[in-house]
Parts: sequence; structure tokens; C-alpha cells
Amino acid sequence: MIPSLFVSLKVLAADIPLLLFLGTSIGWILAKKNFRGKNLVYNLIILPIALPPSVVGLYLLMALGRIPYLKEANILFSFTAAVIAPLFPALPIMIQAAKSGFSAVDEKLEAAARTLGDSEFKVFRRVTFPLAKPYIIGGLALSSMRALGEFGVTLMIAGNIPGRTQTLPLFIYSSVESMSFFEANIAAILLTALGIASLLIVKRMGGKA
Amino acid sequence: MKDCLEATFFKRLDNFSLDVSLRLKEEIGVLFGPSGAGKSQTLKILAGIVKPDKGRINLMDRLLYDSSSSVFIRAAKRKIGLVFQELALFPHLTVLENVAYGLKGPNRWRLAKSWLDAMRLEGFYDRMPDQLSGGQKQRVALARALAPKPDLLLLDEPFSALEGPLRRALRRELKKLFERVKTPILYVTHDIEDVCSLANRVFIMRDGSIMADLEASKLWDPLSQANIWHSLGWGTLIRGEIEINDGYHWFTWQKGRLRLSPSKDLTAGRATVFIPPDQIKLIYPNLPVDHELQPNTQEGTIVEKMEINGSVRLYIFGAGVEWHAEYSKDSYLNLNLREGHPILFSIKPSSITVLTDGECCSAN
Repeated sequence: MIPSLFVSLKVLAADIPLLLFLGTSIGWILAKKNFRGKNLVYNLIILPIALPPSVVGLYLLMALGRIPYLKEANILFSFTAAVIAPLFPALPIMIQAAKSGFSAVDEKLEAAARTLGDSEFKVFRRVTFPLAKPYIIGGLALSSMRALGEFGVTLMIAGNIPGRTQTLPLFIYSSVESMSFFEANIAAILLTALGIASLLIVKRMGGKA
Repeated sequence: MKDCLEATFFKRLDNFSLDVSLRLKEEIGVLFGPSGAGKSQTLKILAGIVKPDKGRINLMDRLLYDSSSSVFIRAAKRKIGLVFQELALFPHLTVLENVAYGLKGPNRWRLAKSWLDAMRLEGFYDRMPDQLSGGQKQRVALARALAPKPDLLLLDEPFSALEGPLRRALRRELKKLFERVKTPILYVTHDIEDVCSLANRVFIMRDGSIMADLEASKLWDPLSQANIWHSLGWGTLIRGEIEINDGYHWFTWQKGRLRLSPSKDLTAGRATVFIPPDQIKLIYPNLPVDHELQPNTQEGTIVEKMEINGSVRLYIFGAGVEWHAEYSKDSYLNLNLREGHPILFSIKPSSITVLTDGECCSAN
């Protein structure tokens, strides 16, 4: 179980910065910018939430195994695949939360900051981001937990290789399959505790989950 | 005095077009007009938040916008302070941090404190905006906008959400503040009291254009009053003829007549009269009527009653004319003033402004 815990924590350590950076940037663009095809882009981004993980996993398996450049990168069944897989169900949650947070910031506050001499970046740093922060904290906690619990897409593109791509949810699956219920229960309790802890952190930091 | 602001611009909006031309000296200019006239959009364009389609804006000899040479200075570099109707205080920052927001350098905190002290807000430095009263918030918003020493201050109906006495007190403070800092101010409002108490210059706006630009003192000149106020839907205008009968001057129209003040300038013939809404006096049916009002007593029916900012506005239909009357909410308390009810009213001859044809552009 310990190797699986380490894999899960390594995946989480790689995914949290990606969720924060990609989720915040895409959420900001969707909340504040108008462009042709915005609705289509938004629907494509949240589509993985609406699809069964096995379907998302199959599409990724085909893309990573057949598209020449991606195939040469040898991502399939590697640790990189275990990092990429949870992003598909988790990133839409983060984007949605960031978008809601940025949309909730009154444009007049941003306009006031501009008239007081702020560049666009400074308006974001001093007004938009601090005011959207509770939503971003909430989104980050929920999406991280979704990433930690990811099962289907990881199994499809990263496999279930102990010590390399086997995360805690996959460990539970393998343990139950081999009738090792005690170990499965320990791993389940660990994931439950992490889920509760993340919700408490969100609440303590004033996040909106 | 030299013009501080010279702006001419055009902007096509969803429902109408803005076609604005205005000049402002070192003075308080009030941009007055009904809701939807384009006042707030005008401020946004001046502040650089919205880009016009074409035109030119010059402030203190700095070119801020020129469509012909593709110059557009963004809001951050314009040195224009803006106070929104909603004030837009940063809710995550303290009062002091709000005022220091636009300041730079090692003295920024000292300067922000001195602004707050000047606004009688010493002791409020560490409060959050939601812990302040309406009047305190207004003063913080003014201090924040003025602290970076802007070349122009734009105020978008900043006192509209406040009660009457507080609004009047803040107007007085704003006037004093202007005397101290001498920053030209452009103040947007649809409240006539703001015009009367603040303006050095009045820009009257309707349907996206400035239809009058005049010194505040000229606002009460009878001719400008009739044309401007009536075109804004304020006051009663009647077309008819002047007759001289029994030694008196009478203004008559198809369904009624009014006695006018004797004047050697009045001659018989076609004319238009204008009656400001506050000059229409309501009459108690069972009480004696002032001798000046007696000959001009009219009968009518109240068609609409509105209460606005402590005053009551009545639209009365009588003698073939829709009369517009306005009075303080505390007056005429014993009269039954409900829509559909009959009413007696009158106008003193000295309160009637006579315009000969050609002086007036529109009439009922």
C-alpha cells in the first residue's frame, strides 16, 4: 500500500500546480473575455465530466497510441500518463470554480483599479484574484480530491503497475480482487480522511466549495 | 479661464448613439439629464474605460484620444479620478488601503492618512468598507479618487443612494473640497437639486447628445428655462394667443385662459407660455383663494402621481392641457391627491413666462 500512497501523492504534487495554473487561466479567459466560439470551447472543456471515464480513457488511449508525435513520446502506461489522466475529470471542476469566482468580481472594481493607475496584470493581482480566491481555493480542493480519487481514465492509459502507476484507488481495486479486504479498508479510510481534511481546509481558508 | 477638458466624440451603442461635445474649465460641471441619456457612458469614455468610435479628447494639454492619429491613452495613464454610483470600494482592503491604492512611493501611507483626516475619517483607517455608513463610504471613495491628484474628477451620481439631509451635507463638502483642490469636476446626475447646489456649468444631455451647455447662472433665465426644461419633460408649455381685455393681458387657448402680469412688452398675437411645475398652486375647495390666484383657477383631474426624492409630481389634465405640478411631500397633506380625482389649481400671473413664437421650439 505504501508504494501506491507514494504514487498517489506524487501524482497529486504534479497535478495541483497544473490545476491551479490551467484552471485559473482558462477560468479567467472564460469569465472576462468574449470571443467567437466561447460557448463551444466551454462545453468541450466540461465534456469529460459528462462522459464515462472509460470513454474518456479510450479516446486518450487512441490519441496517445496512434497520433504520431504523441505515440513517440511514449506516454502510455508511464508515470506521466498517471499525472495526465486525473486532469481530464478534475480540470473542468477547477475551471468552473475559477470562472464562477472571476465572474463574481464586479467589473466596476476592476475599472476603478484601472483609473487609479493599475495595468491589466496589476488589476488581476490586486483586485480580481484576491476577490475570486475563495472560489479558487474551493475549486482547487475539490478538483485535487477528484484527481486523487481518479480510477477509470488512469486504468485505461496508465495501467495498474505497482510502484509506478498504481495509485490508491487502483490499489483498493486490486486488493478487493485478491480478497485482501483489510488492506483495501485501510486505503479507503486514508482516502476518506484526505477528503474530509480537504473540505476542512477549504472551510478554514474561507473557500467556497 | 482656459479650458481644462475639451472632448468631442462619437460612439454607437446598442440602442442609441452618443454624440458628445463638451468643454470644461477649472469648475464644477454638472452633466444633467434623464436616465438613459448616455451620461454614464460619457464618463466611461472620458475615463478611458470605453473606447469611442471616433473623436478627440484633450485634458490639460495632454492628448488622451484622437481617432485620426490612432491615439488612445488607457485609463491607467489618464490621471482621471472616477467615483461610481456604487462607489466600488475594494471590499477586501481596509479604508486606508483603499485610499492608498492609487498612491506610490514611501509617503503613500502618510498621504492616504492625511486625505482621510481631511475627510473627517481619522480613526477609521483599519475599518473594512462594509463597516462604514453610506456617508463615510462616499467620503472614502472621494478621498481615494482625489489622493493621486487627478487632472479631472468624474462623479457618477455618487450621492443618489443617500437620504436628503446627508446628500445636502455631502454636496456642501464636495463644494468645499473643490475650492481646496481646484480639480475640475464633471458630475453626472438626474437630480435637479444637484444642479442648483453644485454647478458652475451645466451640460444638459438627452438621447446621447449635449443639447445645452450653459453657465449655471443662465439656467434660470426664463427663455433657456422654458426650452430646456420643457424638452426634458419638465414644466407646462401651452400655445395660444395674447389678448388685451378689460385692461388686462390674457393668454387664451382653445379651452381656457390665464391672466398675465401687465407688461408694456406684451402685444396681442400668437404666443407660448411656460409654467414651472413648482409654480402650480393647488387650491383647497373650502378655503378662500389668494386674490392673485383667483382669476387663473383651473379645474382638472389627476392623471398620474409620482413621489421622487421627497417631492411629489402630479400630472393633471384640465382645459385641454396636461399640467405638470411639483411640490414638497409635506405640502397639501389635507388634500385628497389620488389618481383619477378632481383638483383645483392656479398660477400667479407673475409666475407665467411668455415666449413669443420663434423663441420656443416645442409645445404641448
